[in-house]
Amino acid sequence: MAKSYEIAVIGGGPGGYMAALRAARLGKKVMLVEKEYLGGTCLNRGCIPSKTWLKNAEILESMERAKEWGIETPEISVSFGKMKRRKDEVVTRLRNGVSLLLKKGKIDVYEAEGIVEDEHTVKAVSEKGEERIRAEKIIVATGSSPALPPIEGLASVPCYTSDTIFDIESIPASLIIIGGGVIGVEMATVFAALKTKVTIIEAAERIIPAEDAEAAETLAKALKRKGVKIITKATVKRLTKEGESVVAECADGQGNPLAVTGDAVLISVGRKPNLSAVRTIGLEMNGPFIKVNERMETSVPNIYAVGDVIGGYQLAHAAYMEGIVAASNAAGLDKRMDDKVVPRCIFTLPEVAGVGLTEEAATKAGLRVKTAKFDLEGNGKALISGDTGGFVKIVYEEKFGEILGVTMVGPHVTEMISEASSFISLEGTVEEMAGMIHPHPTISEAFFDAAWKIFE
Amino acid sequence: MPKEIFMPKLSSTMQVGTLLRWFKEEGEPVEIGEPLFEIMTDKINIEVESYDSGILLKKYYEPEAEIPVNQVIGYIGNPGEKVPDQPPAPGSGLAESPRGQEGTSIEEQGAADHQPEDEIRKVRATPAARALARKAGVDLGKISGSGPRGRIQRKDVEQYLEAAGTKPKATPLAQKIAKEEQVDLRAISGTGSGGKIMKRDVLEAVRASEQQRTEKREEIRKPLSGLRKVVANRMAQSAFTAPHVTLSTEIDMAKAVEMRQSLLPVIEKQTGLRLTYTDILIKAAATALKRFPEVNVHFENDEVVSRDEVNVGMAVAVKDGLLVPVIKNADKKGLAAICAEAKDLSKRAREQKLLPDDLKGSTFTISNLGMYPIDVFTPIINLPEIAILGVGRIQEKPVVIGGEIVIRPMMTASLSFDHRVIDGAPAAEFLAEIKRILENPLEMIV
Repeated sequence: MAKSYEIAVIGGGPGGYMAALRAARLGKKVMLVEKEYLGGTCLNRGCIPSKTWLKNAEILESMERAKEWGIETPEISVSFGKMKRRKDEVVTRLRNGVSLLLKKGKIDVYEAEGIVEDEHTVKAVSEKGEERIRAEKIIVATGSSPALPPIEGLASVPCYTSDTIFDIESIPASLIIIGGGVIGVEMATVFAALKTKVTIIEAAERIIPAEDAEAAETLAKALKRKGVKIITKATVKRLTKEGESVVAECADGQGNPLAVTGDAVLISVGRKPNLSAVRTIGLEMNGPFIKVNERMETSVPNIYAVGDVIGGYQLAHAAYMEGIVAASNAAGLDKRMDDKVVPRCIFTLPEVAGVGLTEEAATKAGLRVKTAKFDLEGNGKALISGDTGGFVKIVYEEKFGEILGVTMVGPHVTEMISEASSFISLEGTVEEMAGMIHPHPTISEAFFDAAWKIFE
Repeated sequence: MPKEIFMPKLSSTMQVGTLLRWFKEEGEPVEIGEPLFEIMTDKINIEVESYDSGILLKKYYEPEAEIPVNQVIGYIGNPGEKVPDQPPAPGSGLAESPRGQEGTSIEEQGAADHQPEDEIRKVRATPAARALARKAGVDLGKISGSGPRGRIQRKDVEQYLEAAGTKPKATPLAQKIAKEEQVDLRAISGTGSGGKIMKRDVLEAVRASEQQRTEKREEIRKPLSGLRKVVANRMAQSAFTAPHVTLSTEIDMAKAVEMRQSLLPVIEKQTGLRLTYTDILIKAAATALKRFPEVNVHFENDEVVSRDEVNVGMAVAVKDGLLVPVIKNADKKGLAAICAEAKDLSKRAREQKLLPDDLKGSTFTISNLGMYPIDVFTPIINLPEIAILGVGRIQEKPVVIGGEIVIRPMMTASLSFDHRVIDGAPAAEFLAEIKRILENPLEMIV
């Protein structure tokens, strides 16, 4: 007799474990199947390891700046081995935390690959064999993997993705990063701090093309100052090996050939959904992703999907909420996903954070858009910190002053963006922001100052 | 100028009120809407609130005094102002009863102003509370009263307004949109946390009201005004106070038709006017009324009032209403005189040139719809009269006379009478008399 659960979750990443925890909290008998490590991409191959390394990069940058401010240190040396170990410690500790939470929730965790066979059956496949599990409802949270573009010679060169870059043996002298999105610029920041010569090749007109154009420009400037070379509007045609080096043969916007040389290549051109678990059940798709409604229901009854596998933001914190929504609905409640306020954070130096609509997106949506921008040049705390290369920009609707979106560039703006999220979520307008006292001296004053400019 | 405090007239039947107690002493300050004194009527106890603010200058009566309605019972004014030592007699100055030909007291008029708001009439509330509620557009039914037996007082209305005035929880953005779109936030239920009103809720309300507006586009509402309102009040008052009974009879008009034919040239020569059936009906009714004085009365304040004159009113349709000019002493006038007077009155009625006296003193009313294809209808008594005659068209019909079917010009006459004052038998006799006269019309011109 097959084991039976009320809710089965496929995948132990943020979307999956949050769904499992929520369902258990709602009193359901829950199982979760994970083929690799609990915590998924975020914890093992994404957010957590990259931010750990970015902290190292931040310290390195501060130490260099400290020299100019009168704090002398002997020659700075980096132990890459220790750096990697610390990252592993952080990851392991958080992974154990997730495991403990699942245990507390009395959730049965299967170390196996979960395959959905039909709307009530999950097959758990592991080295120990196969086991069929019956479930009233199934939540698919299988995540995504780095997409590999069809570039000639890709297999013949030392090529990393975000899945493998954290296991790189040593700091490369030079690194070609294909793709100037969030992962690309963050890794560029890490390796630039480690004195790697980094070249970013981006196909679009600018790096981080989904974010505000001025934010992209500010970040590009900062990266260039760190020695990062940025080539935009260029596509990689072929990768070849020349001795110990890799040559990326590119074509620029006009189709002119262009060659970039480096010791290693990092591919960061996007992520594709992991669909092997649901291949046979005929789910309706939304492009490459699983199609769901706002209740996170797929086209097959009793099957829900959350996280990267449904596309959208592909952010851990979006997946958390999707997991909660799916679990609530699977447990018989009625909850809908509201993704109007999902903050987007890039942990470069300076950081870039955005929430809501960018100026471009709002204008495209036909709204009566106005913006107010305050540069950190005029912010006391930014000057104190030596981080004046940033700004806060409010995109608002003209008539009622509704805050449509906010972009922030600067130190700690990934922490500050939640103030903007609160305002949008609670429907405060620029008027309330302009009337709200902010602590002085802080970077967060810049948000107030931007709003204040509207009424000056 | 000190303001009089009156014994209020709280119903059409109220004659006197018994003062139960004063809530204020002479010299004490009084606010508008504060309970001032309590009275007992034949039906209820009621606290009466002050219509003015100032100092209670004078109290003319002590508790247990029985005081006629509209009598001045005290004064409110500024300190030191002079007031009479004795209460002014009723009928002097402002104390005059506003009851007259129009027949509605202030109280009834007030209630009638807001007849659509039936609830307002039903709930127990003081006049000041009603006035405030009306002004603020508040449904009294939603307010719980703190006065005796749950009566709503002015302060209850004020408290309700204050509570209603507290802003419901809404996001700043929702508030702005609501203000711009003129949406009442109090009418919206919020979907945000803790029922907070969000932008989407306001937009939904705007959408819903626009839809409703589209659906209701055909509906135009306007309150009754002017003559229409007077007619409405009087009709409602009559219909709801006098128990109506209507008797109908078919009258053979052959001889009346014949008489009219022969008198037409005579009267036309004399007056230049054409004799109408209405003129003949007025004369016939007047003749019958003279013989039935118990029908030719008014019923006022539970008293039957007889006057030694027969004044017949005739209902005249005018723009937006109905007027009843009066042919005075119709029993004493000949058909030519009645014809001339009736033509003059109805012409002036239509031109809105009637004088107040033209509308006063009728003891009986005739409503003739014979110019329409109407056979029978039940007229409503023109209070304080006790009966009214409604007549339909004259139509040739087969009737049986002496075992033979013959064609006769027939007319149905209906008499509505106030059953409080007379009963079926005398009313039937009176209508039979009219029938007899019209079937033998020559006797009325003798």
